[in-house]
Amino acid sequence: MKNISKQKNSGWIPNQSILKIKLCVFLIATFLIQAQTYTFGQQQRITLSLENKPVSELIDRIEDETPYRFMYLSDEVDTQRKVHVKVQNATVEQLLDLVFKDTPIDYSIVEKQIILTRKKQVPTTTTPPPPRTNVLREQDPVTGTVSDAEGPISGVVVTIKGTDISTLTDENGFFTLEASRGDTLVFTYPAYETLEQMVGNELNFTIKMTEAITEISEVVVNAGYYQVKDKERTGSIYRITSEEIEKQPVNNVLGALEGRIPGVEVTPTTGIAGGGFKVRIRGQNSIDAGNEPLYIIDGVPYSMESLSSYRLSMEILPQFNINPLNTLDAQSIESIEVLKDADATAIYGSRGANGVILINTKKGKPGKTKFSVDASTSIISVTKFMELLNTEQYLEMRKHAFENDGINLYPETAYDINGTWDKNRYTDWQKELAGGTAINQNIRISVSGGNQQTKFNLGGSFMKETTIFPGSYNYKNTSVFANIAHNSKNENFGMHFSFQYGLDSNNLPDSDPFRTALSLAPNAPELFDVNGELNWENSTWTNPLASLKGSYSNKSRNLIANGILTFKLIKGIKFKTNLGYTISDLDELRLIPHTIHNPAYGLTSENSNSFHSNGQRESWIIEPQLDVFRQLGKGKINLSIGGTFEKQNHKQLEILAIGYPSNLLIGQLISASQLTILGDLNNHYNYIAGYTRLNYNYDNKYIFNLTGRRDGSSRFGSNNRFANFGAIGAAWVFSEENFLTEISWLNFGKLRASFGTTGNDQIGDYQYLRTFSVSNVSYDGNIGILPTRLFNPDYGWEKNKKTEVALELSFFKNRINLETAYYDNRSDNLLLGMPLPGTTGFPYINSNLDATVKNTGWEFNLQTLNINNSNFNWRTILSLTFSKNELVSFDGLEESTYANRFAIGHSLNITKLFNYTGINPQTGVFEFEDYNGDGIISPPYDNQYIADLSPKMMGSLSNSIEYKGWSIDFMFQYIKKQAYNEYRRFQYAGALSNQPIGVLNNWSEANPNAKYQTLTSGKNYEAFLAHSRFNSSTGVISDASFLRLKTASISYKVKIDHNINCTLFLQGQNLLTFTKFKGGDPERNTDYLPPLKRLLIGAKVEF
Amino acid sequence: MKAIKKYIIKSIYAFFTILFLILFGCQDFLDVDEPNGEITPELVFNDEVTANASVSTLYTKLRDETLITGRLNGLSILMGFYTDELDFYGQSGNDIEYFYTHQILPENNILSSVWNSSYNLIFQCNAIIEGLENSHNITESTKNQLLGETIFVRSLVYFYLTNLFGDIPYTTTTDYKINMNLGRTNKDIIYNTIIEDLLDAHSKLNSEYPSGERVRANRYVVSALLSRVFLYNEKWQEANYYSSEVINNTELYNLETDLSEEFLVESSSAILQLKSQQQNLVTHEAGNFIFEYGPPFMIGLSSHIALDFETGDLRKQYWVREINEGDQTWYMCNKYKRFDLNNSPKEYSIVFRLSEQYLIRAEARLKLGNLNGAATDINQIRNRAGLSSVSLTDNLDAILVQERKSELFCEHGHRWFDLKRWGNAQEILSPIKSNWRETDILLPLPQNELELNPNLLPQNPGY
Repeated sequence: MKNISKQKNSGWIPNQSILKIKLCVFLIATFLIQAQTYTFGQQQRITLSLENKPVSELIDRIEDETPYRFMYLSDEVDTQRKVHVKVQNATVEQLLDLVFKDTPIDYSIVEKQIILTRKKQVPTTTTPPPPRTNVLREQDPVTGTVSDAEGPISGVVVTIKGTDISTLTDENGFFTLEASRGDTLVFTYPAYETLEQMVGNELNFTIKMTEAITEISEVVVNAGYYQVKDKERTGSIYRITSEEIEKQPVNNVLGALEGRIPGVEVTPTTGIAGGGFKVRIRGQNSIDAGNEPLYIIDGVPYSMESLSSYRLSMEILPQFNINPLNTLDAQSIESIEVLKDADATAIYGSRGANGVILINTKKGKPGKTKFSVDASTSIISVTKFMELLNTEQYLEMRKHAFENDGINLYPETAYDINGTWDKNRYTDWQKELAGGTAINQNIRISVSGGNQQTKFNLGGSFMKETTIFPGSYNYKNTSVFANIAHNSKNENFGMHFSFQYGLDSNNLPDSDPFRTALSLAPNAPELFDVNGELNWENSTWTNPLASLKGSYSNKSRNLIANGILTFKLIKGIKFKTNLGYTISDLDELRLIPHTIHNPAYGLTSENSNSFHSNGQRESWIIEPQLDVFRQLGKGKINLSIGGTFEKQNHKQLEILAIGYPSNLLIGQLISASQLTILGDLNNHYNYIAGYTRLNYNYDNKYIFNLTGRRDGSSRFGSNNRFANFGAIGAAWVFSEENFLTEISWLNFGKLRASFGTTGNDQIGDYQYLRTFSVSNVSYDGNIGILPTRLFNPDYGWEKNKKTEVALELSFFKNRINLETAYYDNRSDNLLLGMPLPGTTGFPYINSNLDATVKNTGWEFNLQTLNINNSNFNWRTILSLTFSKNELVSFDGLEESTYANRFAIGHSLNITKLFNYTGINPQTGVFEFEDYNGDGIISPPYDNQYIADLSPKMMGSLSNSIEYKGWSIDFMFQYIKKQAYNEYRRFQYAGALSNQPIGVLNNWSEANPNAKYQTLTSGKNYEAFLAHSRFNSSTGVISDASFLRLKTASISYKVKIDHNINCTLFLQGQNLLTFTKFKGGDPERNTDYLPPLKRLLIGAKVEF
Repeated sequence: MKAIKKYIIKSIYAFFTILFLILFGCQDFLDVDEPNGEITPELVFNDEVTANASVSTLYTKLRDETLITGRLNGLSILMGFYTDELDFYGQSGNDIEYFYTHQILPENNILSSVWNSSYNLIFQCNAIIEGLENSHNITESTKNQLLGETIFVRSLVYFYLTNLFGDIPYTTTTDYKINMNLGRTNKDIIYNTIIEDLLDAHSKLNSEYPSGERVRANRYVVSALLSRVFLYNEKWQEANYYSSEVINNTELYNLETDLSEEFLVESSSAILQLKSQQQNLVTHEAGNFIFEYGPPFMIGLSSHIALDFETGDLRKQYWVREINEGDQTWYMCNKYKRFDLNNSPKEYSIVFRLSEQYLIRAEARLKLGNLNGAATDINQIRNRAGLSSVSLTDNLDAILVQERKSELFCEHGHRWFDLKRWGNAQEILSPIKSNWRETDILLPLPQNELELNPNLLPQNPGY
């Protein structure tokens, strides 16, 4: 800054315009001297490279590296305009020519002062008319508007080709210019494709400009503690933007990631709105500790641990998983960055082992204030039902089973076949209990805008989704968000504040009726009796609608607030503090009125009970950080150093209330006969860290990135609290090498590699403590006191070593982009709850295991721009992942409690099964391979077949086509894997339970080539046992590969006038599925509702 | 300018220094408060109130989770189904149903819950014993009483486990490294250890119940278990001795004359009861056995019990109830009657009662040749049930078998353990259980256990 700081203060340069008098003096001086520009300093040469940087940065650089100083009026010169320059050994004048050519700015050099002024309005009369070929042509005023997909663009330079005549568009994109027929108008605007337009009879033009395709290399990605140009990154970071998110009908933003990112597996745990997600980045690293990635929302780490209590939600939401991101409106997300390799994640140290997901919310953009309103409605239903027996087939099967065992008198409890139930009834229970259509309604509003200094974006949304179950259940979500950013004119001080607040409520049945729908006999009784009451058919069955008398409901509130303050201390040194606060609150209520039970039990409301749970997690974080930037010749150095202080507090109170005077009062704790505190948790988790990053970029060709972190976590005993993590990454942009710059079809080529360590501390709090707990059950006037857990004071961090090599290429004007990566991640010192035999008193103990898990894989991402012109635009993205998970070593596996769960050289996701070999031709009973040859099929000797149920290959193909106002997007997802098939969950024929139609092909002497064994009532013990073995054999494993039209969207943009845009859209999810799998939904087949099919129609208005 | 630069550089140094001081000098940041409701063992066993509470929690587990609980995974119900006592009416394909149909596979979940809850309770006993032995702040008498009770509970659990599973792992420590690899101990050795432990407990406890009610062990409770253990081991003298010790204490124990009062809180027959969590709760047994309309939702008393009483047996009148609907009849075990909270007297679940001690002594005396004494004891039971006295010429062995059946049905698997030790399970059960196999005499060890601890192999025969 030096002595120039005085002049900056004098009002010429950005902010403080205190001395207006001085300003006038300078103005006058400028005009006086303008004519006689000295050429002093022409020998002063400069080398620099700026990509997509504001003019202000250019000015800083010139001031830094030359004796020149700038003067300009801040409201005349747009210093935020992004420029792209690269010069070697150029004179300052050459450089300035380059930068201000075709812009409304003139420059003049007076001694060491560079003065920037606005050009006089063109066409200028002072310019002598250029020579024309056709001088006799009459000149006409030509007018028009220039816009892009977003709306009008101001500042577009419109020039008549071959002349100096030019003008600029105003804020409505409007221009006017004197031109002759036959002239060619040239439209230029930074980062946009230059357009030419011939002047013919038409004198009014509507020009649509599109962004230049070089955009891909100019993308800046967020790496959490720092930002890096996509072109220059050394790590593996994948970015999904709002454009892709907005085209998907998802409630939770994680749903929008499904299938899109190479190496990332995202699966919803249920089809019910308000449930959870399973997310794995590059496979399962840990055997038993958490495998969840670290989530960071606008710089604030956010715990994805569900606050739900299993006692309340287990029956309806699988793994009592309620994803806290549910409260966040998916459409308020600007971008999501997924950090995968060591280079990107090591700066997150102990929490980076499973990858990091950075979520950034939408920020305001300078310009006109924009309002946006959209509304949509979706129709939701089950993708696919299983094929089960109808009444006739079912009764035939049952009859057969008893006949085979020589039983003529059906047991008293075989109501379906002994005449108790009507044998002619047929109910398709899947349709009856899960065949409904759910409706989702959504409305959203937002306002954004601002100027160069202050930007804002606020909005809110409301959503309601019903369920496919019979009964009126719904999920509601209300969310609001706001963010505001401000920086001082000189950009020395900046602040950013954002908050997200979400309010959810979910009303659901007490348990998921989907399971019951599969097992109920097809001739089971009617649901209601003649009086419209639940029918219990003389206590011979459990009415599936009874569970709907019970209810589960929750309400959650989530607040994420974040503030970032930045100060530029001196040139090249910046101090930043990231402050965050989150609070999540989940209130749950489960009501079990006595009416859920058969009235024959003679229960009254004194037997009604209710479960109450309130979970709360609060956290705050402070992260001071210092960023240093230095240019050393052709090299640039970026150094960041900072610290993290984080505190988290988790409270949970669970209450069971038993007995109410009336069911009207159920849930009112004060009227319950008896209250039991089931849990009163107050856990603290403190976390402290120091981190650093050193990045050296030599000439944009060779880039090195070093990151390190030292972490301390209260989750470990005092001897093991601290650990170090770090990574090195390097990139070689070989396309910048002289010998390759000549090759025109190769636009960009980069080879990068990284290696480093990260850690995992997802083991729960306090697990190292040896304590007794106070329990809720008392005896004889004493409170309960009992041992809490098996304790191990010595367990420590799990470490994950990650290696990656990747190649990035762009061809043919960046129209084809290919990124190929190979990774090798190894976890050792595995932290886990080692399962223990019951004789130890507890099911597991936390410890570190001397074992290594390896995840390796290839990832491919090919993005092509197939067609690109102003009317028609077609992009394709092909993403492929081939991954392998392997347990490399495990000290003493055979002697350990894991001997039957894992095998060295195989994936962690294996099951050991009996090897089904076929049906015995004599007995008609399933047979299995007798591994130990003792003549008996018994575990653990004979369940030695290793089946791997993890996906072998994941891929997706998405296409995005824009034609005029139309936009069509669709994505196919493919997963190659095996899964448990339809036989897995079914009973033997003697049980009163429906079965898949495959059992019709059962063995008998007449049907010796059957696929299914002889039916038994259970009396044939050999067959009964074989059925049980079959359920854990290769016989219940099938190929579950599938191709699914995951998402599709069509939208049409109507321009009502140049200020109002209206978009109509139709979106779908899980629309089509192609698979040979018969065991239900191939993506996820469990006892809970699978992912659903959604079809959305909506409209969006922006003005 | 220079000054400013210096100042800035200084502040950068200060930033680093402060950062590193905070990060690495101040590990206190990582010290967190202890979690809610958790206490270190040192504190628990140096305070009489908490030490006493930790012991009383053992009974909670017995009442609600382990073996003698009246809940569905308790032996009264599971072994009732396994023998001829109960009929299963629940949903087909239930893991409990497989006890009824003799299709228990090692993967059966109820089976592992029986196993795991037992060893969890044993762990708890071991932790208490370790804690008490290291404690210096509790009086010797309190320590003895608490140790005696804990040892008694552990012995009770081992007694049932070895009866169900045969040779089982025997643990006396909380060290998981030892417990996770334990092999099986021969059941005779286990019995010897149980006897040694019980004698130790007997010497540690005195004749008073720790609290006013009979809801925690005193010396006579230990005697009652000792007499049963000796009976099962055919040590007739000892069985006679310890049952007499209980029977002779007429200050505490007398047979209730009114059968309908046998299971009430104030029952003078009661030796050990499990107190309900709250005054207004019904016993788990009442909750599971009682039904008002047919068919029962899961559990019905089988006709093998209900129709096998001698004519005029009051126990059928008081302890069995019939439910009729149309031409169908179902029976229920109605020993515990309190279901309507407002109008019935209070009941606790009974673990040991005096009738069993009479029957134990009668059996021991029979084996010892004291027919007179045996007949006297049997008549105590029969007369109370409104039945005539037996004479020495009757087949006392057969009468004893019938009396145990009619007196102790649906209580903690007595029927099964009797059939097993008398060697007539095959004879009684094979005609009524179509899947009966001789190897059913022992339950299988849970599959998960064998997989996690191969030292437990081989599995019991037949599974």
